[in-house]
Formats: sequence, C-alpha cells, structure tokens
Amino acid sequence: MCAKSLTSISPVFPTTVVKRRVVKLIVNFLFYFRTDEDEPIGALLLEQCRVEREDDQVFSIVFLDEAERKYLFECDSQEQCVEWIDAVVKASYEFMRKNLIYYRTEIHRLTGKDPLEQYGISDETRFQVNSGLPPAAT
Amino acid sequence: MKLNERSVAHYATCNSPPDKTGVLFKKGERNTAYHRRWFILKGNMLFYFEERDSREPIGVIVLEGCTVELCESESEEFAFAIKFDCVKARVYKMAAENQATMESWVKALSRASFDYMRLVVKELERQLEEVQEEARSSQNAAITGPSQEGMSSRENGVSWSKPTSVPNGVSEGCVWEGDCGRGDGVKPPPVPPRRKTNGGSLESPVSPGTGCFSKLHDWYGKEVAELRIEWLQSQ
Repeated sequence: MCAKSLTSISPVFPTTVVKRRVVKLIVNFLFYFRTDEDEPIGALLLEQCRVEREDDQVFSIVFLDEAERKYLFECDSQEQCVEWIDAVVKASYEFMRKNLIYYRTEIHRLTGKDPLEQYGISDETRFQVNSGLPPAAT
Repeated sequence: MKLNERSVAHYATCNSPPDKTGVLFKKGERNTAYHRRWFILKGNMLFYFEERDSREPIGVIVLEGCTVELCESESEEFAFAIKFDCVKARVYKMAAENQATMESWVKALSRASFDYMRLVVKELERQLEEVQEEARSSQNAAITGPSQEGMSSRENGVSWSKPTSVPNGVSEGCVWEGDCGRGDGVKPPPVPPRRKTNGGSLESPVSPGTGCFSKLHDWYGKEVAELRIEWLQSQ
C-alpha cells in the first residue's frame, strides 16, 4: 500500500487558477489537501478516466463522461511527471482486473491449470474473460 | 469535501462489468427501517439505487478497509454489517432475502478491496513469470502432447490486444509479455501457500489513508438523495 505525496502539484482549472496542493494517491482515489491541513478538501475517483502527458512536467486526467474538462497537474520534474502518470494509470480497479484476467488466461494456456482455483475464487464474475457483457443479476 | 461525483455516478452505470448485483435491504440512517434497494458492486465501490431501473445511484459505500460481519437484528433474519476502523464512521446494516444470498454478498464484499485485488494480481504475475521461465528453460525438450487447441485466450471468443488504447492505459508500464511457450512439457507451477478463504481473514489491512476515507464515508453518510426519499416515504 503506498501513498505518494508531493507538495508541488497544482490543479489548473479552465479559469487558469493555479493552486498548490498536496496530492495523495491511495488505492483508486486521488485525494488533495491544502498544504498544511490533515483532512482532504477533495478527491477524484480514478475509474473511467484517461491520463495524458500535457507537457514536460504536466499531466492531465480526463473523465470519460466529461471529456471536455481536464484536471491538470504540474509536477516538480519530468521524472516525477512520468512516475505520477504511471501510478495514476495503474490505480484503477479496472486496470488490475484486466491484468489479472490476462495472467490467469496465460497461466492456464501454459499449464492447463486455472491459478485461481486454489483460492476458491475462479467463479467470481470479475475474473471472467467475457464479463464485458452485461451480466445477469446474481 | 469535493468529489468528482458525476464521474463516480457514471462509473456506477457505465458498461464496465459489475462484480455483483442484487437486491438487499439497507437500514436507513434517520428512518431506521430496512429499505429495499438495488445494489451494484464494482471494484471497491458499492452503489445502491432505489430500483433496478433507476438511472442514477442514490448512494455509495466505499469498501476500502472495511470489515463485513454477520449481525443480529430484531426484524431481519439474514443481517450483516459493513464496518470501518474509523470510530466516527457509520456502520451500514444490511439484510438479504435468504441465507445463500447473504453468504454470497458477505463473501463478495469482504474481497472487494483494492488491496485484495492487488495481492491476487501480484501473485499471478509471479506465477506467470515462473511458468514462463520454466517454459523457456525447457524449450529444448521435445514438444509433446496435443497442439494448443481451444486456447484459453480465445475461449469466449475474446481475442487479446494490448490495453494501451483503452482508458487508464496510456502508460507503457504494464507488462504484456506474451511468451509463446509451448507449455505441454512444463510441470505445473508450485502451489503457493493456501490463502484462507473465510471472509474474516481477507479484509484489507487498515489503510494509511484511513483519515481520508473517513472523510469520504462521512460525506456519503449524508446521502442527500436517500434522505429525501425516506422523508417522502414518511409523508
């Protein structure tokens, strides 16, 4: 479990107001704080979003249902920017699910065995290859 | 506390596959009767709707760091509770229609955390690396056995493609080494230590971000839409 925090990320909204915030990535949420406060002032759920490099030190998060709105973040350095983009991309549950299905399928292909069987979770909907289809109610 | 609420609601109803759906009865906060609601579990988020056909959720429970326990209820037979480490956090009391449904939900909710998923993914990643390593080292051996018909990767008519074109996939960071090891001569991977599967031991550890999540719970504890419905129903 890791929480990355940086002091120099500034969300830049369309009104071009630049604010310095502390940003913490915790599981699939991006929490942001005023620099000297303990409680977050806001959070972004990082599902169904796209992350893009905007500039050397700037990345953006765009949510698929509101594609015209960009949340912009400026980092201290290029390396930080790359790190953050990587972290945010991997922070979604959906991303993990896809990886898991891929590993499961590959292991099964190579060994003939379902690696999830020993955990007793091989029947769970979320681990099925075809669960992109609308499921029946369970 | 602000949240990208519209996008969260969109996540609830978009076509990404839910992990579980169904009817449950949820104890109200002000009106303490149990209300019938339609629940959709996606990842570590438990959304609930007034009805199955409702367009938007009326509330959501963030399941990170929660524990799920069976509980006693005066009025409900198949009751369980979703609890959090944070003292201030609301306890969500729920009830199912029968024993099987209750057990199924308790199991699903106990395993819904991001951390749990991450553990499983890491474990499979490790196993795959082992398998691929063994396949590479035994590639000199004669290839025996039938050809790889009915390849699992296409079992359900789904073919694999790199996920970089999908949302959350811009980074090249994910490793997709499709090593075409001809695995028939490979011995099965060593069995990892068996994980206990009863719901109690799979809850995720306390998140260092507990303070953040208590704020989220508190925020969603208000559940404006649900309170309004409760009020309307009481008229």
